[in-house]
Amino acid sequence: MARIKTNTSGFPLYPPKAPGLKGQGRLLSNTGGFVLMAFLPWLPILGWFTIFNPATNYGMGNLAYVYAYAAAGVGFNLLIGYSGTLGLAHAGIFALGAYGTTILSGPKECLDYDTCETVVRYSSSGYGVPYLLALPIVCIVAALIGVAVGFPAARLKGFYLAIATLALGELIIKLISLDEKVWSGLRTNAGTGKQVPIFELFGSGQLKSAYFLSLGALLITFVAYIIYTENRLGRTLKAVRDIEIATGPLGISGTYYKLVAFGLSSFAAALAGAAWAQNSAFVNPGSFKTRLLVFLLVVVILGGLGKLWGPLIGAFMFVYLRQEFQDQQKLLFFLIGVALMLSILLLPDGFASLPDRMRNSRWVTDLRRRMKSVKVS
Amino acid sequence: MSINDLSENAQSVAPLTLDDLHVAFGGNRVLEGVNIKFAPGFNGLIGPNGAGKTTIFNVLSGYVDASSGKALLGDKDLAKLKQTGRVRNGICRTFQSPKLILDATVMENVLLGMHTSFKRGHASELFRLPAQKKEETLAREKCMDMLEEFGLAEDAHKETGDLSLGSQKIVEVCRALVGDPKVLLLDEPAAGLGADDVTILLKGLRRIVEDTDLCLVIIEHDLELVTTMCPIIYVLHFGRIISEGTPEEITSDPVVIEAYLGSGYAEGGSDGQGEPDAV
Repeated sequence: MARIKTNTSGFPLYPPKAPGLKGQGRLLSNTGGFVLMAFLPWLPILGWFTIFNPATNYGMGNLAYVYAYAAAGVGFNLLIGYSGTLGLAHAGIFALGAYGTTILSGPKECLDYDTCETVVRYSSSGYGVPYLLALPIVCIVAALIGVAVGFPAARLKGFYLAIATLALGELIIKLISLDEKVWSGLRTNAGTGKQVPIFELFGSGQLKSAYFLSLGALLITFVAYIIYTENRLGRTLKAVRDIEIATGPLGISGTYYKLVAFGLSSFAAALAGAAWAQNSAFVNPGSFKTRLLVFLLVVVILGGLGKLWGPLIGAFMFVYLRQEFQDQQKLLFFLIGVALMLSILLLPDGFASLPDRMRNSRWVTDLRRRMKSVKVS
Repeated sequence: MSINDLSENAQSVAPLTLDDLHVAFGGNRVLEGVNIKFAPGFNGLIGPNGAGKTTIFNVLSGYVDASSGKALLGDKDLAKLKQTGRVRNGICRTFQSPKLILDATVMENVLLGMHTSFKRGHASELFRLPAQKKEETLAREKCMDMLEEFGLAEDAHKETGDLSLGSQKIVEVCRALVGDPKVLLLDEPAAGLGADDVTILLKGLRRIVEDTDLCLVIIEHDLELVTTMCPIIYVLHFGRIISEGTPEEITSDPVVIEAYLGSGYAEGGSDGQGEPDAV
C-alpha cells in the first residue's frame, strides 16, 4: 500500500480512501466495470431483454448505440454538468464526427471495371485516409470547431448561450445537407445520404468492430472524464460554474475554461459520432437534426447531470424506449417527455443518484438502525 | 500594538497607491478623488454603508474601471492589467459573502487560490505525468499548512457547504493567502464570525504579516477589531477620505465622530441598507 502523503504535522493531503473496492480509486474500479461491459454480449444476463440480446445482431447493434450515445453524453456532461455552460451545438459536432470520418476514410472514387480492384461509386467515395488516422484528425478538428463555436458564445450566459450554440450547431447540419456533392452522393427515400466505409477491427466483422469502437470511445471519454473531474481542471470548471463572479480575482479566466470545456466535449461528441456512424453504416443529415440534440439532452438529464455513470444509464433507457416503440414515433416522444418529467420531479439528480437517495432515505436509514440493534442484542 | 513605522522609513515605493481615484456609475459619483498610500502591514478602511469602500476593492480587483485617477501596485498601473494579470502581480481579495464552491472540499477550494502558480498544463494532467503529480502534491502541502495555521486542517476534506459561515470566511482568506499575494484585500472578514473564529483569524493574519511584507487592507465595521489590529486607519465618507491616522487620532477626530461613529460611537454601522456592490 502506498504511503499516505501528509504535511509536516501529519494531516493527509488527499482525501481518505473509501473502504473496499471503491478505495482502489475510481479509475481502477471503473475500468473493472468496463472490462465486464466489454464482454457483456457474451454473458447470458442480457439475454433476458430482446432489445439488448447480444446473441442477435440487433441486440449487439443496440448496445453499440448505447455506448456511442453515452460517450457523447459524457462529453456533454463535462460541458453542462461541470462548467455549467449550456452549449447546444452537440448534434452538429456529432454529425461532424460521423461525416468527417466517413468522407476522409472512404476509398477514392473508381468506376473503371478494368483497373479498379473493386468499383467505388460516388456515393461511398472519399479521400482514402486510413481510418485510424482519420479518426483522431476528425476529432481534433471537431474540437477546434467546438472552440470556434464556443468563442462567440462564451460571452453569453444561460438561455442566450443555449440559443446561440443551438443555432451554430444547426448551421453545421445545414451546411452538411446543403452541398450534396461534397457531403452526400446517394439519394434514398430518406433524403440524401452516404454509405459509411466500414472499418473492421482485426477482421471481426462490421457489427463487432462497431461494438468495440463504441465501447472504446466510451472508455476514452470515461477515463478522461474521471481524471479531469478529480483533478485541477475539474475544480477549476466547478469554480467557473459556481462562482464565476469570483474567478477573476483568483486568476482564472472564465472564458478560457469555458472554451476548454467546449473543446473537450466536442472531441467526445465527434468520437461518439464516428463510432455511431460505423454502427449505422449509413449517414444522412436527417439523422442529426434537432431530434438528436434532444435525445442527447435526455440521455444526460435522465441519467444524471454531472454524474459519471449517468449518461450510460440514460443511454440504456433511451435506446430501450426508442427500440421498443420504434413503430410508434409519437408515442415514443410522449413517453420520453413523461420519463423526463418524472425524473425531474422524483429524481432531480437523475437515475445515477438512485443508490444515494435510497441509502439516505428514511426507510433504509430506519432499517439499518434496526439491523444494528438486532446485532447488538 | 505599537504604531508600525514601515511606511516612513525603508519603503520608498508604497505597495499600493491610489492616486486621485474617481469612480462614477452614470451620474452617481461613488469615489471622488481618493488618495491613499497603503503601507505594508495592516491598513484599516472604515466608513458608513455606501461610502465606497467595496468600490475601491472592486477597482483594485478589476470589476470596476476608474473614471479618472490611477491605482498603482508598486509602480505598475493596474488599469493596464487584466484581472488575471493583477493576480499574477500579487493582488488577492475576499468577498463580503464568501464565494466558495459549496459542493467541493475545503482543500479544493483553497487549491483554487494557487491557480496561477501551476506550471504544468492540462494535457500533463490527463496523462498523470509525475511532474504534474508532484506539483499537485506540493500545492496541497502548502494549502494544508495554511489551513493548519487557521485551525481548519481537520476539516480539509469535508464539503465546504457543511462548514459554518465563519469557517467558510476563513477558508476564503486561506484561499487568498496561498497565492502569496503582495496585497491582500479583505472585505469584512470578521462579519458573521464567532469570537473564537475572529481570534484564530487575527492570530493567523498577524503571523503572516510579521513574516512577510504583505500589505493588508481590511474593510470592517467592527471598530474595536480595526482599532486593535490596524496601526493606520482611513475613513471614507461619500467617496472621500475624511480622515486618516492612528486609531487614537481617528476615534477622537470630531469629523469622523460626526460622520461615522456617532456621538459616543455606539452604532458601528448596522447592515440596514446594504451596500451597492458590484459583487
